[in-house]
Amino acid sequence: MSQDAENHATQSIGFWAEAWVRFRRQRLAMAALVFVGLLAMIAVFSPVIVGTKPIICHYKGGYYFPAAGYFYEQWENPIFITDGVIYSYPQKLKQNDSESWAIWPIIYQDPLRRVRDGEWNEGSGNPIGSAGTPSRRNLFGTNDLGEDVFAKMIHGTRIALLIGFVSTGIATVIGIFVGASAGFFGGKIDWALSRAIEIMMCIPTLILILALISIIDKPTIWHLMVVIGVFGWTGIARLTRAEFLKLKQLEYVTAAKALGFRWPRLMFRHILPNSLAPVIVPITFGIAAAILLESTLGFLGIGAPDKTSWGRLLNEGKENLQMWWLIVFPGAAIFLTVLAYNLIGEGIQQATDPTLKSSKH
Amino acid sequence: MNMRSGTMLLWILLVISVGCSQQANNLADISESDEAFVLGDLLEPFNPPSLESLEQSVNAGGGWIDRPVLDSLVLLRERQAKEPILATVNQALDLRNNSDEENAKILSALGRLPENDAEVNYAAQITRATPQALNNQNPLLASSMTEFEVSSLTGFGLFGFDWNFTPFASQDSVKSWQTSKDGLYDKVIMRSDLLWSDGTPITAHDIEFSFKVIMSSQVPIRAQRTGTEAIKYVKAYDDQTLVYFHNEPLETNVWNINFSIIPKHIYEKSLADDPSLVDSDYHVQMEENPVTGGGYEVVKRDQREVVLRRRESSFMFAGKQVREKPFFETVRLRIIPVSSVRLLSLEAGDIDEMNLEPQQWSDQTNGDDFYRRCTKARGLEWTSFSFQWNANTPFFSDPKVRQAMTWAFDHQEMLGVHRKGLDQPCTGTYHPTSRWYPGSGNAVGVKIEPVKQNLEKAKQLLDEAGWMDTDGDGYRDKDINGKKRKFEFTIIVRNAKERIDLCELLAQNLRLVGVACNVKPLESATLQDKLFNKQFTAAFGGWGTGADPDTSENIWGSGQQRNFVDYKNPFVDELFEEGRKLSEDRKPWKDLKIWKNSDVIAFLQIDPDMAEKKPSREDCYAAIHALLWRDQPYTWLFYRNAYHGFNKRLRGYNFSPRGIFGYGPGFSSLWMPQES
Repeated sequence: MSQDAENHATQSIGFWAEAWVRFRRQRLAMAALVFVGLLAMIAVFSPVIVGTKPIICHYKGGYYFPAAGYFYEQWENPIFITDGVIYSYPQKLKQNDSESWAIWPIIYQDPLRRVRDGEWNEGSGNPIGSAGTPSRRNLFGTNDLGEDVFAKMIHGTRIALLIGFVSTGIATVIGIFVGASAGFFGGKIDWALSRAIEIMMCIPTLILILALISIIDKPTIWHLMVVIGVFGWTGIARLTRAEFLKLKQLEYVTAAKALGFRWPRLMFRHILPNSLAPVIVPITFGIAAAILLESTLGFLGIGAPDKTSWGRLLNEGKENLQMWWLIVFPGAAIFLTVLAYNLIGEGIQQATDPTLKSSKH
Repeated sequence: MNMRSGTMLLWILLVISVGCSQQANNLADISESDEAFVLGDLLEPFNPPSLESLEQSVNAGGGWIDRPVLDSLVLLRERQAKEPILATVNQALDLRNNSDEENAKILSALGRLPENDAEVNYAAQITRATPQALNNQNPLLASSMTEFEVSSLTGFGLFGFDWNFTPFASQDSVKSWQTSKDGLYDKVIMRSDLLWSDGTPITAHDIEFSFKVIMSSQVPIRAQRTGTEAIKYVKAYDDQTLVYFHNEPLETNVWNINFSIIPKHIYEKSLADDPSLVDSDYHVQMEENPVTGGGYEVVKRDQREVVLRRRESSFMFAGKQVREKPFFETVRLRIIPVSSVRLLSLEAGDIDEMNLEPQQWSDQTNGDDFYRRCTKARGLEWTSFSFQWNANTPFFSDPKVRQAMTWAFDHQEMLGVHRKGLDQPCTGTYHPTSRWYPGSGNAVGVKIEPVKQNLEKAKQLLDEAGWMDTDGDGYRDKDINGKKRKFEFTIIVRNAKERIDLCELLAQNLRLVGVACNVKPLESATLQDKLFNKQFTAAFGGWGTGADPDTSENIWGSGQQRNFVDYKNPFVDELFEEGRKLSEDRKPWKDLKIWKNSDVIAFLQIDPDMAEKKPSREDCYAAIHALLWRDQPYTWLFYRNAYHGFNKRLRGYNFSPRGIFGYGPGFSSLWMPQES
């Protein structure tokens, strides 16, 4: 980098690059970032790590990827439903087509159902109730109905990450747009938008989610994400507004105005990039909060229709207190993930705060 | 104190099925009309004859037949005297309930009534758990579990029934009970030493008044009218003499005359101003401090608990004890909605009794933590659960589709894993150990075997019903009114984990036969609303049992109130009607509609030689059962047995098909021994 810096001695390395350098110096924040990266990998490759559907298989003359069904039910080719294979690939594939072959996930367990007797290598089925202690076969034990907790947790990573990103993504887009408009235009628009923000803040998200779930015929985790996002942008909007109010007074904005740029360019090219730093911090905290909210809903047994949500596992643990593995593993996962996002948020704050520039974090 | 009203039975059932207050529905029922209130406006005009002319006409028709007037505690004592003692109390307290044998020993020793009064700690308090707060104290308006619980302790009644569902008049309140030979009149002479909690005597006029209130259109009563509708009139000839006039001589009249009773002197004047019984200031005041006639009265109620205290005037009269004294001084109902918290409270000794979930029975109550203070017992209970298919939808109007659902479901996984092997499979509307089950005792038909999953059969039935996968998406479809419709439906279920899990098992199973099923958990008030308004395609729910098989008409009769699935079968309607009649009034087999349908007769395996004979009561209900099984309006799943945890101090618990409290003596038989 130093060589690079020499080559462009006249050009500063830029605000974000500098922030990244400072961020990298913070060990905890970096560890958290690596952890989240790891979670993302797990989320993407969850059907490869654990599942009962082949990653790839050759069946009746075609190549299929049944494991994709874990991402979206309809991606599992209908041929497997018609042939009645979906819950017993290992035997049925061979039975229906002796020429078939398949590549299996690393661990043969299912997040959505109990593995039955003789399903895999003639082994016995998953134990039920408190007999399901963690073992070699069920790394994190099984729940009351004999469903594998490890499989649920691995596949639950997807939900935890998605809910964080998607809902906060929605909140960010709305928040930045509303906040920027309010701060930039000021006057009546500012007044109206500020009141709108205040009204939005009065709506209790939890109750709204409850109402929504009862209206929608087929509620999914996506509905939840949208609700959390659509009603969680007010904090971001207020911060953006404040930044805009401050930045629009600066000379470079006046200069840009003098050059005759229209408002969208001023808003998005000139002011927005400079106002992002303080906004990114609440975004990371927002992700953590969304994950926590989803877990809370799952724990309370409302709203989370997905069988693999970490919160739902915790809820099962609450009903079966002697099955400690239902509480310890998902509890730790939620704790660590939320902590990681908070550490990242704090890291970004440290790295982007110009007043802390000289600090040796 | 057997104040459990028979006509309330079905309500209790509903509470079991959905488990929450019916308040919202009741309120919606209040008619908004400005018409003046008329007491008993739902009754046909009728002028009761004088007592003398009634006696004359009854004597001309064969006279009166005496009916039993009993004390359920005495009945239980007599039963227990005949049963062998399998273990001593101390042995039973040391036992761990892991087998049928141990269960029998525990019930035999700890279920006994006290030998004498000296054994009983009459100053004892029993604390029980209940899922929701008390909203209403008026027995006519009771609709949630807690409200039934409370009104059974505070309410006054004339009739009861035992664990075999044999009806009787309660010795505590009745001197004599007679039915006319033709079955058209019931005459009851009440005791003269009965007092309301404000000291006013309880008289026959209160019963006449309560009947008229129930039969008033502006009073928002849903639960009780079903039975009382069959009664022509109730007349109090003096303070003690009461005659029930029936429209028809029916087997079910003994249940119909058993309705909730409210004090006439309290409501007589206020009713016209506020027929809702809850709105006016006066009624609000009466709701807070009601005048009641039962063995206990509420002394405190809030969102945490309901406290009831024994009422002196319920068993003392003019300075003398005239009835058995209730065994507990205080009954405390603590509101604990979560069952794991209830179990912790039981283990800590904060509550004395609770019903256990299957996983609690099999997993969480085997250790020293539990047996230190508690013990447990179980018994058969006739509470069944089922998937209910709305016949008014394009999917489930065809019986073949409904049968396919039953074949597609993995009953073994449900019984073994979800129910932990503790429950019996359910094969229809009546319980296999009841007299009404096909092929049992002298009932027609053959025993029905539980179903085992058979996907091929399910697929074949769906094919036959015209549901095929024509577009190769893995899901079946069918042309309905020229439009292709995918077989995808939503099943609604109360938001309780073990229920949702079963629906999800169904959804998984149905995927294998090319049917998409979405599970939608709902909060119980919403669920009830959808059921009553028939706004659902499929639902998961359950029913407890009524004391009489006729109570099921409400579920299966065409257009009946709780026929949520809109099941219509003229054979079934007629059989319910016949089953109610006295045996001599019943039509012979050959005159029944069902006889003309040879398929059905062959299905029921009724001997053609029976044509001239009259079906027995058992025959009628067994035939209904078999017809229902043939049509599968429900996919019947399992009977939830009764599992209870008890504090070791508690004695006198016994099970009935309606659980440990839903019969006489029920709760009244529980007691605590003197501390030694």
